[in-house]
Amino acid sequence: MYDVCIIGSGAGGSPIAYELSNAGFNVVVLEKGKYYKEEDFTKDELAVSRRDMFTPNLQDEFHIINEYKPSGNFTRYSGKESGWNFWNGSMVGGSSNLMSGYFHRMKPNDFKLRSVYGKIRGANVVDWPISYEELEPYYKKVERVVGVSGRVVEHKYQEPRSSKEFPYKMLEVNGVTQWFDKACEEQGYDAIPTPRAVLSEDALGRKGCYYSNFCGSYGCASGAKGSARAALLQRCKAEIISEAFVYKLESDTTKVTKAYYYDKANKSHTIEAKIFVLSAQAIESVRLLLNSKNKYFPRGLANSSGELGNNLVFSAGGSGSGRFVFEKLTQKQQKELMQVGLFFNRSLQEWYDYDDGCRKYKGGTIDFLFEHQNIISRANRELYDEEGNLLWGQALAERLHKRLTTSRVLTFEVFNDWLPTDNCNVRVDEKTKDKWGVPVGVINLNSHPHDLEVGEHLAKKAAELLKKMGALEVEYSISSAPPPNLVAGGCRFGKDPKTSVLDVDCKAHDLENLYVSDASFMPTGGSVPYTWTIYANSFRVAQKILATLKT
Amino acid sequence: MQNKRRNFLIAGFVTSVVVVMNSGRIFSQVTPNTTLCILQYDLFPQAKEMGIHLPAYFTLIQHHSRIDEDEKEYLKNGIKWINEEAVEVYGALYHELHELKREELLKSISQKEWGDSYLYTLLTYIMEATFSDPIYGVNPKRSGQKWLEFQNGLPYPKEAYL
Repeated sequence: MYDVCIIGSGAGGSPIAYELSNAGFNVVVLEKGKYYKEEDFTKDELAVSRRDMFTPNLQDEFHIINEYKPSGNFTRYSGKESGWNFWNGSMVGGSSNLMSGYFHRMKPNDFKLRSVYGKIRGANVVDWPISYEELEPYYKKVERVVGVSGRVVEHKYQEPRSSKEFPYKMLEVNGVTQWFDKACEEQGYDAIPTPRAVLSEDALGRKGCYYSNFCGSYGCASGAKGSARAALLQRCKAEIISEAFVYKLESDTTKVTKAYYYDKANKSHTIEAKIFVLSAQAIESVRLLLNSKNKYFPRGLANSSGELGNNLVFSAGGSGSGRFVFEKLTQKQQKELMQVGLFFNRSLQEWYDYDDGCRKYKGGTIDFLFEHQNIISRANRELYDEEGNLLWGQALAERLHKRLTTSRVLTFEVFNDWLPTDNCNVRVDEKTKDKWGVPVGVINLNSHPHDLEVGEHLAKKAAELLKKMGALEVEYSISSAPPPNLVAGGCRFGKDPKTSVLDVDCKAHDLENLYVSDASFMPTGGSVPYTWTIYANSFRVAQKILATLKT
Repeated sequence: MQNKRRNFLIAGFVTSVVVVMNSGRIFSQVTPNTTLCILQYDLFPQAKEMGIHLPAYFTLIQHHSRIDEDEKEYLKNGIKWINEEAVEVYGALYHELHELKREELLKSISQKEWGDSYLYTLLTYIMEATFSDPIYGVNPKRSGQKWLEFQNGLPYPKEAYL
């Protein structure tokens, strides 16, 4: 029997594997995906981005997605037919392999959204049962162990830190950041060098960044990116079983007793452990618990509250862009613009909250970055002219050459809260099954109009700044489309077993030995990408489990 | 044995035919490749100048495990529709037309919803071929990348993903 069995090997599970195995406990990690390592990660756009090599075959594994409209009606999509999916980096280390690693901590007020910003009609906002101060030591730990590079600058929303600086210096940046900084200074904004979970130098037994120009969506070939695999799993003694799909947890009245999984040959196996940790990402964790219902837990494991699957959240917001063209630039600026490999790495948190004269709004973060270098995607965006006519032949060739060699696009991404609502949740469809014959997850999607209002406010500010910098073709899109790589909630943690699935330590209220440590514990998501918080919380939960195992 | 099967599949596509109808009657039959060899380079003649083997890429994607059957069928159907349009307007198959007539036909087709959609789809695959890694065998000299002064990310793939 293992001391600990962890299901899922991403940012939610790996800190626990790292901490407990390094403390001498016998830990096994079950991961559905393959075990890719640095040497497997190439920059093949066809494989990674066009043919989605890290996404499961949607004929085998898919979701049912119900998209709710403001009227309360919904449209049903099968992922098998529509291609709409919420898979993220199905491999050892999970989606952290493919993240860009834009790392922001949540702010103190993110932990008390309800009490600071008040009730919003139609939204199930609650405060977190822990404070920023309780999580801060673990944010710091992530900086050191996973590796975060950056430079701390004072600004009005800078969260309190117990260390003055990041442990790793900032990554090299492109000259265009100076244009950005100047524009911000003129506007009175504080330009923030975006902290990155990317090592700027050799450290922690890993190579530093080699500026491949292909970071987000791609695995890192040097190990500089702080993926759960490179930073944690490859630095500990936990046993990793890849291509192991866990389809059921067995329990008695108080404890989980076994995990059942299929190997790649579809052969079923069981694992016994003293403690089970679930970290298969929010949607799949909920699905597994619902599919593990038994006579003691007829509504699903750990679901005596009936809250399992509820209050699924994403990161709300959207994105925008502006184009810098050679005609408007000096030769020096042209050269700066076309420097490849170097990062942009600038953020604004100027409107992390704001006042419209009537009420105080929780705002968010804007990250600025160059358009992804994927050349095929960029070429495909040039197939139509400004009037919407499809181009081919010489006209297409001329447009491609001009647009891709004498201009470059700076983009921005807006992150604000996706308010939890009644119609945004995870269920299972008993009649629709995947290739293993297991009921698939149903994702009910609903967004609150408030999310769009806030996103619009932030995007306008970012667009104005791009114009001040001299960008042309400035545009943005704020929508209620959920980003599949920024998903949380479904197993809320809280003090009251009637209204939450997990307790303050992320242990199921109902079971003595089941913890959930992916983003599903989060009652609200904050207005930042989630990964740093997931890592930090998982290190916190690891300490709780360690204390339990030692007693 | 596997190689033989694969060769058979590829050969099957090359030699398979689409039936071109006109006024409710069979006008002719044509292999997709006969049309594509002309059509793809009409859409992006620079690919020929750069030595990019567009028909070979089309054959690759016809057998790619990550391109679903509906898409493959759509690609084949489009060949039929374009030829039927060519027959209706000019009384001949697409590849039999003079290049000026082919260009006129493309202009006309692109104004139709199906035509715009189909030509756009073909162009996206042409862009894939033009900027693909040499490992896929259609852009052996990275000519597309050089043309756009594009610096590839490293490392390069060591095997084609199928």
